Amino acid sequence: MPIERRSLRSNSKSDTSSANGEKSQTSGASKDKPAPTTRAAANKSRTASAKKAAAGKGASNSSGMSGHDQPQANGSDPVENGVNGIEDVEMEEDSATATTPLSGKPNIDRDGDEKITVVVPPSKGARLSGDQSQDKEGDVNMDGGNEEGAKQAEVEVDPKVKAMQDIKNNFTLLERAVTHFDPRFTLRVLRSISSMRKQITPDALAEVIVETYPSTNATASFLLEAIGKPYAGEETANEKMEVDSDKARATPKEILPEVGIYLAILVQIYLYDQKEIQHGAHFSSKLVDQLRSLNRRTLDSLSARVYFYYSLFFEQLAPLPPSAAAAVIATRQPLLAALRTAVLRKDVDIQATVITLLLRNYLSTSHISQADLLISHNRFPSSASNNQIARYLYYLGRIRAIQLQYTEAHGHLIGATRKSPSSHSAGGFYQASTKLLVIVELLMGDIPDRAIFRQPSLERALHPYLLLVRAVSVGDLDGFLNIVHTHSAAFRKDGTYTLILRLRQNVIKTGIRMMSLAYSRISLRDICIRLGLESEESAEYIVAKAIRDGVIEATLDHERGYMKSKDVGDIYATREPGEVFHERIGACLGLHDESVKAMRFPMNQHRLELKNAQEARERERELAKEIQEGEMDEDDAGGDFDGI
Amino acid sequence: MASELRSLASELRTALHRKQLDTAASYLSRAKHILLQQNALIPTSSTPPQLVSLAREILELGALTSIRREDASSFTRYYQQLQPFYDAEGHLETTGSTSGLDLSTSQRSKITGLYLLLLLSVGNTSQFHTVLEGLVVEASLKGHNVEDDSYIKYPVELERSLMEGSYDKAWRETKSERVPSEDFSLFSNVLVRTIRREIADCSERAYPSLPISNAKNLLFLNSEGAVVEFAQERDWTLHDGRIYFPTDPESAAADEEQPIGQPEKEIVLSSATIIENSIGYARQLETIV
Repeated sequence: MPIERRSLRSNSKSDTSSANGEKSQTSGASKDKPAPTTRAAANKSRTASAKKAAAGKGASNSSGMSGHDQPQANGSDPVENGVNGIEDVEMEEDSATATTPLSGKPNIDRDGDEKITVVVPPSKGARLSGDQSQDKEGDVNMDGGNEEGAKQAEVEVDPKVKAMQDIKNNFTLLERAVTHFDPRFTLRVLRSISSMRKQITPDALAEVIVETYPSTNATASFLLEAIGKPYAGEETANEKMEVDSDKARATPKEILPEVGIYLAILVQIYLYDQKEIQHGAHFSSKLVDQLRSLNRRTLDSLSARVYFYYSLFFEQLAPLPPSAAAAVIATRQPLLAALRTAVLRKDVDIQATVITLLLRNYLSTSHISQADLLISHNRFPSSASNNQIARYLYYLGRIRAIQLQYTEAHGHLIGATRKSPSSHSAGGFYQASTKLLVIVELLMGDIPDRAIFRQPSLERALHPYLLLVRAVSVGDLDGFLNIVHTHSAAFRKDGTYTLILRLRQNVIKTGIRMMSLAYSRISLRDICIRLGLESEESAEYIVAKAIRDGVIEATLDHERGYMKSKDVGDIYATREPGEVFHERIGACLGLHDESVKAMRFPMNQHRLELKNAQEARERERELAKEIQEGEMDEDDAGGDFDGI
Repeated sequence: MASELRSLASELRTALHRKQLDTAASYLSRAKHILLQQNALIPTSSTPPQLVSLAREILELGALTSIRREDASSFTRYYQQLQPFYDAEGHLETTGSTSGLDLSTSQRSKITGLYLLLLLSVGNTSQFHTVLEGLVVEASLKGHNVEDDSYIKYPVELERSLMEGSYDKAWRETKSERVPSEDFSLFSNVLVRTIRREIADCSERAYPSLPISNAKNLLFLNSEGAVVEFAQERDWTLHDGRIYFPTDPESAAADEEQPIGQPEKEIVLSSATIIENSIGYARQLETIV
C-alpha cells in the first residue's frame, strides 16, 4: 500500500515538474513564480527536519515516511503556479503565503490543500481528492505505512514514538479545524482516539506535553501532574530541547486551547484505563472548571468528550449509583450548568452529550420523575450525532416504559436499536436496548420476532428473555413465574425486573386470546383451570376486562357461565391495510428526506467550480489567441471571445 | 423554640389520636410557622439532627391529618415536603452513620404506601409506577423485596389485581380486616368506587344483557335498589328484571343489520383519504425524481 502510494506520488511529482517546465515555456509567466516554488522547497526541507526531530531516534524510517507526506502536498505547489500562473487571484494567494512568516505546518498544510483543490482539471481532481481523503483518514493509513516500513527495515518501532507521532498528527488536524472552522477535523481526531487508546503511556504523553508547551505553561504542569509526572520528564525535555531548538524557534505561535483539551482527554482516558478512578474524578472536575472559562466554538466536540469521561469517572466512585448517596449526584450541578451554557451558545455537541449524561445519571439513582422533567424542559438537538441520539432514545424509551406509555417507549426503543452503532465495542448498548425492546413489545401484547434472538451478538445475552417470550406467547402462567424466579438476578441487573413483573397480566391476556381463538365457546370454569386462576369470579372479571381492552372479540353469558367468541372479520375488508401501507410509505419518504438533509457539501466547493469555469474560459481564450495570432489584433480576439 | 415545637408535636399527636382534626390543623399551621422561622422545613447538612427529626415528625403528622380530612392535594404537598427528609435518611442509612437522627420513628413506608394508594385511587398509574420503580431499586439495594413492607405491599398487590382484572380480589383487599392500618381504609371508599366504575365499563362491552340480581353481585352492591340507581346513573336500560347495556355506536356501525347509509358515508370518506394519499405520493415522487 505505501509503496503504491509512493510511486503514485512520484509520478505525479514528475508530472508536475514536467508540466511546470512546459508551462514556463508557454506562458512565460511573471517573475514571482520561482519565489514560491523555492519557498515551498524550503518548507519541505524544514518540515521534514522538524518532523524528523519530533519523531526522534529509532524510527528513522517512519519519520522519513511522514516527512515525505508533507512535501507531497507541497509538491503540487509548482503545478498550480504553472497552470494558471497568470491568474491574478492565484498570485495573490501565493504572495499571501509568501508574506506570512512560514511559521508552522498549518499554513503549509492549508496551502497544500487549497491548491490541490484549486489547481487541477476535473478528471485529475477526482484522483487527487481521493488521495487527499486518504490522507484525511489519517492515522490509520499512516499507521499502516509506518508499521510496514518498520518491518521492511526490520527495526523495532518504538510504540511510544508511534503514539507520539499519532498525537502530533492530530494536533495538525486540530489546528486545521480551528483555522477552517470545520468541526469535521475535530471529529476525526476524536474518532482516532479509540485506535490510539492502547498505545497511550504516561511517558509518551509527558513527552508530547513537554514538547508542545513551554515549561512555564500552567496547562502543561496541570496535565503532567495528572499523569503523575510533575516535570519528571525535565531531562528528556532538555535533551529534546536541544534537538528541537530550531523547531521551538520555528513555532513561536501560541498553543491552541484545543490542543490542551485534546491532551487532557488523552490523560482522562489513560487514567480511566488505569482504573485510577479517584484521581481521574479529581482531575476531571478541575478540567471541567477550566472548560467553563473557555468560549470557543471549535472546542465544542472536545469538551463534550471531556464531560463524558467526567461523568464516567464519577459513576464508578465509591458509593455506587443505585444508592441514595451516590457520587454521581455531585456531578449533576456542573452538568446542568454546562447544559445551560450549551443551550445559550447553541452548542449542539455538548447539549446532546450532557442531556444523555444527565438522563443516565438520574436513571442510575432511579430519579425517574426528575429525568422526565429534564426531558420535558429540554429539546434534544436533532442535529446531534447518531450515537447520542441512540442513547437519548434509549433513555427516553426506558422512562416511557416505566411510565406505562408503551407505544411511545416502543417507538423510541426501535429507534435506539436501529441507530445503535454496529461496531463490536458497542454491542452492550445494542443488547441493552434490545432487551428493553423485547419487554416493551411483550407489554404491548406483541410477541417479538424469533429472529431477534438468533443474532450472534444477542443470542447468549438474551437467553432469559427468550424463555420469557416463550412463556408469554403460550400463555403459560406457571412457567412464566418460574422463569421470572430463576432469572430474577439477571433481570434485576438489566433493570427490567419491575417491567417483567407487569407482564403477568399479559400472560393471562395471551392465554385468554389463545382460548378465544381456539374455542367458539368455553366455560368460565375451564378458563379458570387453564390459566391457574383462583376463582371463577376472577376469571369472569378478567375476561370482561380483556373484552373491554380489545384483546379479544367475545361476549360473556353470565347466567350460563361461558364466553362466546365472535367471528373474526376479514381484515382486508377494513381500512387497516391501507393505513399500514400509508404509514410505511410515510416512513420511507421520511428516510429519503433525512438522507437528503444529511448530505454534506464542503465549504468552498462552489468556489472551486467557479474557478474551474474561469480556468476553462481562460484556456479557451488563450487557445483562441494562439490560433488567431498574426491574423488579428489581440484586442479584438479578447473582445470576441469574452462572450464565450 | 425546640421545646415549643416538641410540645406542639405531642399535642398534635394527641389531637390526631382523639380525631380532633380541626385543632390538629391549627397546631400544624403554628408548628410549620416555627419550622419556617428555624429554617428547618428543608433539611440541610447544618440543621441539627433533633430539629430534623422533629420537623419530619410534624410533617408526617400533617400528612396523616390531611389524609383523615380527605384532602388529597394537601397530602400530596406534605408528601413532597417530606421527600428531602427521606432522601437524607436513605443517605444516612447507606453511609451507616445515623448521627443522632432517630430513624425508628420515621413513618416513611406508611406515608409512601398511602401516597401510592392515593395515586392508585385517582388512577394515576404512571406516577404510581414511577414511585414504585424507585422503591424497588432501593429495596433491592438493601437486599430485600419491596413487598416485605406491609404498607407498600398493600397498594402494590392492589394495583396488580386491578390491572389484571381480578376485581373480586381487589374488592376483598379493601375490606377493613385486610387493610394494614386504619389510615389506609380511608381510601377504601374511593377505591370501591373506582373498582365499580371499572367493572361497569367492562360489563358494558362484555355482556349483551344481565339480570339485575347477578349485577348486584358483580358490582358488589348491597341491594337491587342500589343496582337500579347505579344503572340509571350510567344510562342503562332496564326491563323485565334485566339490564340491557347500550350498544356503542362504533360496534353498531360494524353490524350488518344496520342501514346501508352509514357504510356509504364511510366509503366516501375512505376514498377521499386514499385519493389524498395517492396524490401525496405522486407529489413526493416528483420531488425525488
